[in-house]
Amino acid sequence: MEEKKIILETRKLTVRFGGLTAVNSVSMSVPEGSITGIIGPNGAGKTTLFNMITAAVEPSSGQVIYNGASILGLGPDEIARIGISRTFQNIRVCSRMTALENVIISIQRVPPYSVFAAMLGLPSVKRKDREAREQALGYLKMLGIGSYANSLASEMPYGQQRRLEIARAIATRPKLLLLDEPAAGMNNEECRELTGLIRELREKLDLTVVLIEHHMEVVMRLCDNIYVLNLGSLLREGKPSQIQSDAEVIKAYLGEKRRRN
Amino acid sequence: MQYYLSVLTIGGINVILILGLTLLTSYTGLFSMGNVGFMMVGAYCSAALNVEFGVPFIPSLLISGVISMLLGLLIGWPTVRRKLKGDHFAVALLGFASAIKVLICNIEIGDFDGAMGIKNVPKLTNWYVVLIVGAVITFLLWNFVHSAYGRNCRAVREQEVAAQTMGINVSRTKLLSLLINAFTTAIGGGLFAFYTTIVVPTMFTQNQSSNHLIAVVFGGINSITGPVLSSFVLAILPELLRVISTWRLVIYGVLIVVIMLVKPEGLLGYKELNFRWVKPALAKARALLKKNKLPGNDGGKA
Repeated sequence: MEEKKIILETRKLTVRFGGLTAVNSVSMSVPEGSITGIIGPNGAGKTTLFNMITAAVEPSSGQVIYNGASILGLGPDEIARIGISRTFQNIRVCSRMTALENVIISIQRVPPYSVFAAMLGLPSVKRKDREAREQALGYLKMLGIGSYANSLASEMPYGQQRRLEIARAIATRPKLLLLDEPAAGMNNEECRELTGLIRELREKLDLTVVLIEHHMEVVMRLCDNIYVLNLGSLLREGKPSQIQSDAEVIKAYLGEKRRRN
Repeated sequence: MQYYLSVLTIGGINVILILGLTLLTSYTGLFSMGNVGFMMVGAYCSAALNVEFGVPFIPSLLISGVISMLLGLLIGWPTVRRKLKGDHFAVALLGFASAIKVLICNIEIGDFDGAMGIKNVPKLTNWYVVLIVGAVITFLLWNFVHSAYGRNCRAVREQEVAAQTMGINVSRTKLLSLLINAFTTAIGGGLFAFYTTIVVPTMFTQNQSSNHLIAVVFGGINSITGPVLSSFVLAILPELLRVISTWRLVIYGVLIVVIMLVKPEGLLGYKELNFRWVKPALAKARALLKKNKLPGNDGGKA
């Protein structure tokens, strides 16, 4: 099997908040095009790990390498612009904007016209806005929420807001997509739908996906590779079959959270 | 007639003074308690340019707008870069306005004394100047707000972290709003100066900053027509309530409290003033009247 290019790598990534070491020397590498899972009990440092990759949190030590170059020191908006996007655990859609506007934000995050052109309402501005609207509608439809285009995000059902969050994230045209508990609160049927959706997005958009998840069916079915975090440290790394049968992992995590399938 | 025109002019100047604040506070979510600072800069600069240096009316307004923008950059750059928001930003802008006042009061260059002010400013502001300037600024801001820039401002207001994570340059967005606010408020200040024909420090009080903010919040978030309406009404209300002048401030205060309790998102909330409600309302009225066919009535309004 040919060596796949490593799109994201963390090397001994560590962060301390006062006396608490939230993430302790975590090293992982994500091959391009793969779906990697990060699992572990609550408080294991999974979201904090994501936060360090997207520069929401500054690491105390260690490195984050994207496409061969270190991205430490870049701001969150710069990281978005080089192709890394994410969703949030507690969804952060813009409630007082429509679903369409939420997605257009990602497309026009750097406005494609000058301030003066915008103020004058030039035809070129209208045209570019129309194009962005069509693109945004496309993303909404891809996530199955096209009918909510002109609804305020706050009026959408929770499950659809989650999809909106994903639509917004992929509208930034990322190469690497970080999903933070995308299946939270979903039943088995919805989990199956989500699994299919993530695979489809990976194919259609040529993405690499890293996801934090607690739903084991989603993780085991989707992921090529799994990292297990516990109390900030990397416990195990391996293929789903390996992780599932690992005694340490079962003791620390899986054993306590047996889901009835 | 002259009286009503002057009331219109004052109302219009007030609207221009808060249009920029609408962008900064309503749309971008940054509460500024220092709007009067930019107004003062606009008033003094345009008056000085005209009286001392003979710069014509409109150019003096525009130049004072640019000067105001530069000062806005001076206060804006550090506050925005240091991620000040909420109360902190409001207080920083309040400090800015106070600093401007102190600065101007203490300038003594040649025979220009800031504290003594500027007299004999020609009365060039009349109702149609105000109307035209107001219409132009409203047009430009309306387009801005309905463009990608406006959407980015709202995204920053709604979910700053998420907006930044999607790639929006939050500092630049906030700064842009502040600079536009500085420019338009200065223009309003200039128009004010050319109306009152004198410019003295006592005309610019912290109270005015509060009044501007109230007008914006009162009028509604996500709306331009809301604050336009409310600031106009709030400006001419003292004149209209002249008859109950002793109770004016009480009524004013009660109105604001009531609105905040009943409709905290502002009078117009997220909607713009439009007449789309007329058709359905008329249709409803027609249907109701048809249903209640009274004897002798041919049923339904003509």
